[in-house]
Amino acid sequence: MIKLNHINFNYENSTGACGLHDINLSINKGEVLLLCGESGCGKTTLTRIINGLIPHYYWGNLTGDILINGKNVSKIPLYETAEMVGSVFQNPRSQFFNVDTTSELAFGCENMGLPAEIINNRINRIAGDLRLKDLLGRSIFALSGGQKQKIACGSVAALEPDVFVLDEPSSNLDAEATRELKNLITLWKSQGKTIIIAEHRLHYLWELADRVVYMDKGRIVKTFSGTAFSRLPKSELDHMGLRVLNLESLFNAPLSNFQTSATNEMLSLYDFHHSYPRCHATLNIANASLPKQAVVAIIGENGAGKTTFARCLCGFEKKCPGTLYDEGACFQGKDRLKNCFMVMQDVNHQLFTESVFDELAISMENEDNDEVLNILESLDLLSLKDLHPMSLSGGQKQRVAIACAVASRRPLILFDEPTSGLDLKHMHQVAENFRQLSEMGKTQFVITHDPELILAACTHVLHLQEGKIQKIYPLDRSGTYEMLSFFIDPESIIQKKAV
Amino acid sequence: MDNKLQAKDLINVGIFTAIYFAVFFATGMIGFIPVLMLVVPFLCPLVAGIPFMLFLTRVNKFGMVTLMGISLSLLMLLTGHPWICVPFAIVPSLAADLILKSGNYSNWGSMRIGYIVFSEWILGLFIPLFFMRDSYFAGLREGYGDVYTDTLMAVTPTWVFFLIIGMIALGALSGAYLGKSALKKHFKRAGIV
Amino acid sequence: MDLSAFAGNCSARLWLDPRTKLIMLLVVNIVLIGGGHSGVSTVIRPLLALLPLLLLLAEYKFKPAALYFIFIASAMAAETFLVSRTQGVLNLIIVIAAGLLSRFVPVLVMGYYMVTTTKISEFVAAMERLHLPPQIIIPFSVMLRFFPTVAEEKAAISDAMRMRGIRIGGKNSGAIIEYRIVPLLMSSVKIGEELSAAALTRGLGKPVRRTNICRVGFGPIDYGFIIFTLSLFFAWIFY
Repeated sequence: MIKLNHINFNYENSTGACGLHDINLSINKGEVLLLCGESGCGKTTLTRIINGLIPHYYWGNLTGDILINGKNVSKIPLYETAEMVGSVFQNPRSQFFNVDTTSELAFGCENMGLPAEIINNRINRIAGDLRLKDLLGRSIFALSGGQKQKIACGSVAALEPDVFVLDEPSSNLDAEATRELKNLITLWKSQGKTIIIAEHRLHYLWELADRVVYMDKGRIVKTFSGTAFSRLPKSELDHMGLRVLNLESLFNAPLSNFQTSATNEMLSLYDFHHSYPRCHATLNIANASLPKQAVVAIIGENGAGKTTFARCLCGFEKKCPGTLYDEGACFQGKDRLKNCFMVMQDVNHQLFTESVFDELAISMENEDNDEVLNILESLDLLSLKDLHPMSLSGGQKQRVAIACAVASRRPLILFDEPTSGLDLKHMHQVAENFRQLSEMGKTQFVITHDPELILAACTHVLHLQEGKIQKIYPLDRSGTYEMLSFFIDPESIIQKKAV
Repeated sequence: MDNKLQAKDLINVGIFTAIYFAVFFATGMIGFIPVLMLVVPFLCPLVAGIPFMLFLTRVNKFGMVTLMGISLSLLMLLTGHPWICVPFAIVPSLAADLILKSGNYSNWGSMRIGYIVFSEWILGLFIPLFFMRDSYFAGLREGYGDVYTDTLMAVTPTWVFFLIIGMIALGALSGAYLGKSALKKHFKRAGIV
Repeated sequence: MDLSAFAGNCSARLWLDPRTKLIMLLVVNIVLIGGGHSGVSTVIRPLLALLPLLLLLAEYKFKPAALYFIFIASAMAAETFLVSRTQGVLNLIIVIAAGLLSRFVPVLVMGYYMVTTTKISEFVAAMERLHLPPQIIIPFSVMLRFFPTVAEEKAAISDAMRMRGIRIGGKNSGAIIEYRIVPLLMSSVKIGEELSAAALTRGLGKPVRRTNICRVGFGPIDYGFIIFTLSLFFAWIFY
């Protein structure tokens, strides 16, 4: 039983994260509570109140009581809360303390001082329950994001808490890993655990939620029962800024009117082969034609070679022998490095200077202040031009990176998971950026797990499988069907048909 | 304010030691270009000033800088550096900690001096070439006689040792300024500090 | 040396307790760097220099072992035979080169062996067995765990720099240190903060004695190595 009474909170040095205003909530044992709302609505803050990170780790002004099983979480030390509340976070890369999986599973129990024998038993049981057996004893740095997230869940489960708090756990996961996450939450629910999830991607969760809390600007605006929430019409969800509940419903969505300026010109690729040592993911594309000036979504399972393909296309992989032909002009790896721009999944890695203006200026062959201002204007960044790029929000940083791509006048722009962890509004903003870039005649490639984004902004799909191009197709009526079928769990379609 | 080190502080020490050492090590790599080897004692503390000054923004309790020195010394030991590195990392870092504490970890004057003192741990890497040579030479003398030993002593004169101390101090002083300006130019504006 | 080597997860072929390795490392370190060219040292030093060779062979690292053997054997042979028979500059070069090689190479190889054959969790377990306080163990283990993260971040930033055309010799070479270090610090600090938060919610810092599931313990081979090493060490000290 969790009780929040009149919680008010403000971060000490607020950097974008939202505080909370008069939150009253009680959560019953065994309940699955879904927290939703736009970015910055305070749902992450609320999870931090429940797991005690506020006020013990993130400082600020907290008033009100938070009671879990009668204990006041804001008064007891974090290691006591840890026995009652297990937390899984958004970023799979930053939440492990060890370098090998088995130690990570044992970590929490070791901290509690449990005897080694009991810990080993727990690890065995959890590895069975969560199907982690083949991940045991491996280096965490060699795991995919989805596998890391599974280990994080296992490590939390080993402490056997009554309450699980998950903060956007699916942000960096692909379709398959998201399905596994869903199974895991189902398992915990069946064990009678109390589960609190803050999440943007709702399609995998709505069936599980007993109650849905919609937040806005640090307040609880509405509370729905699970069933009432699932009946909300699409228009209502759009209005609330929430992602789609039901991927199947996208089958009926109108075709995107964004059927582009894509010409019939093609880019040709030859000899895109690459493999990594000690890694089974390889890329094997002898030749292919890709539509020029289109927005091509790159989809495929984990390990299908999406990222490798993008890295080779960009010329990051020096050993990849591939060549790109564009109207007779031939681009080797090094030339492509100068003609492609990749907007990375973590844009923090590609912003270097002390102001947005400088960031664009160093991207240009010859610095041209007027041109910089024009580009900033067109991407709605002009008011930010003197700020430090790292002080911006995630979406703004991404737009700065896009602006750099425009400033560098490169014809090919690649995006690596541009909408991971974004809400509806920001997803549409990304889609809008694609449109603008299309109008400038850029060719865009987008690695993504987000069918809503593909529908909103892409013109073609490039489906990779085991390092080979399985198919390239335009997003017409049948293309849309094919694309969605890839993302939707085949089982759930069969079930729907049976009903 | 609780003056005992919390788990959070200990983790911070580990993270910043890793960053500090990675930067230090990457800078030291230029020592493989023979001519530049001579400037390593200057350059390493210079560049590593940026992470160290950032580290100091997280330090407000006694012990964190000392623990950084201990972690560094253990790392040196395990990666096969002379054992003398261990006392030579612990003593300066402890002294630096005391100096920084006297300035409440925020006084710029004591931060400069503290970083200079801390940086002298680098000496531990050079020391066997100087002071331990006495035992080395004593052994040589027994084995091979005075002539050889004296020539060898002449090649590694003691003043080089003081030159290295001076280079480290100068590098660290410049590093402190470099770090301070990076804090102002980047980290404060980015909202990290 | 590759700092992320610590992350290596391949188990050693000849498993030794980290404490055994530590004892060997320390003794090799003290005796070989401490030096000595007369009396019993002439026997003890070569014997101890054999340790790294044995360990390399036990790990099937034949090429490094062969290289090591050639280096050390020639350095020690030069110290013993050539130094007294040469003169002038040649003598000087031999003294310095052989002196440095015979002192520092065995220790470095021991370090290499230590780092490539020991998992971080084994280190931590051994440190806990040695009753080191958590104030030392936690920072040290976090540091080791964080090296691969720094390496990952560095690789990503280097890629971005290459793509943006920021390189030595380019038009931005003046600011290259800044461009390289500042983003690295920014993202490492952010990851570090999230790491702390995650570790705290898993109960790190609870004032109880931590347990460890990692297998550490001395076996017969450990005792063999320890007795061999320590007897040489005491012989070196007392004679």
